[in-house]
Amino acid sequence: MSAVKRVQQWASFARVWHLFDARWQNPFDSGVLIAKYLKGLYKPLYGAQSLCGDHVVVINCRHVALPGNEWRKRVYFHHATYPGSQTWTPAWEMHTRNPVMVMKKAVYTSMHGNLQRRHTMMRLHLFADEEIDPEIAPRISNVIKQIRPVPERLDLMPEEKVKSFPQIADLDKDYVIPELKEYPNWESKFRKMKKEGKKK
Amino acid sequence: MFRNLQVLSQIGAFAARKIGIFPSQILRPFTLSSVNRLKEIHEKREGNNLTIEGVYVDLPKSNVILEKSFNNKGVCSICALGVEVKHTDVLILSQFVRPDGLMLPRRITGLCRKQQKRIGTMVTMAHKAGLMSNLNPTYSKKDPEKRGQWKKFKSYFDESTIGKRKPPKPEWKWIWKKRNFYEKV
Repeated sequence: MSAVKRVQQWASFARVWHLFDARWQNPFDSGVLIAKYLKGLYKPLYGAQSLCGDHVVVINCRHVALPGNEWRKRVYFHHATYPGSQTWTPAWEMHTRNPVMVMKKAVYTSMHGNLQRRHTMMRLHLFADEEIDPEIAPRISNVIKQIRPVPERLDLMPEEKVKSFPQIADLDKDYVIPELKEYPNWESKFRKMKKEGKKK
Repeated sequence: MFRNLQVLSQIGAFAARKIGIFPSQILRPFTLSSVNRLKEIHEKREGNNLTIEGVYVDLPKSNVILEKSFNNKGVCSICALGVEVKHTDVLILSQFVRPDGLMLPRRITGLCRKQQKRIGTMVTMAHKAGLMSNLNPTYSKKDPEKRGQWKKFKSYFDESTIGKRKPPKPEWKWIWKKRNFYEKV
């Protein structure tokens, strides 16, 4: 084997490190995308026996977005094999306990349940926020494109952008602009209930 | 003014149908007072005299007005634009909203019935996603990440679900299957 061919083989079998920003992304759609990179399915030399899978680093797992009311409706089931030990945890509760778990399970379920799955999952690196492990950061050489566009919040927009946007609504001229009401004695229902409970 | 124009145009169109005139002859823009203004109420006290007057104020962005959405004949401002609005387009949605975040009624927005329903639901979607948290009552915490339970997490919505209801599941009857079976045989 010539020196050029040898280097070519090293380059083709070297593991690439990808970065994926999960902010405002659906974990179940992005799980399918990430699994493609983890297995190396996008490579022309892919084979089930050849070890050509890549590493994927996922950041901002805490800021993942679910459609509609799915934070309440989606339920994670667990059974510890003892009778009566089954639990149903809603997704929002799972996310408060562990901000990485929803993303991890989404990638895990997107792959077939074969013997290789646990080993491919070892190549997935999840981080709750933007900070990455300093050992991993210099290895990253590619960024995976996000699926959904990240929406902008009105309160965080620069003022020039808000002012320069044209007026579309032609409101009725006799509309009286209301002033913001102030509620000095306002207290939330739950806080009131807590206080009353303590007094009793 | 535009509201009155719309009413006039509707009456005009109705009359035209009876008489037989082409409606475009009646639907022409005319103004009796200054257009694109809002009202503000001022109170003045001089001794025992209290004077209350409604003063017309310019729209918040009267210098930047999209003329396409204003100079229309009997078409609401969003239909005239011909743009598909999404719940993430906060700059458009915030114009149809009171300073405490509630949707304005149709007599003030001047929208058609379909668009009023559409934009009203999209405003609630934007509020639930925490995209317009500065337009809220004074007692709110403003920061969507300070909300409780599932409300603090990010969620997005599908606009194609607006105004749609789930079709009811047909009741399954074993008789149907049996009848079909015998008919085939």
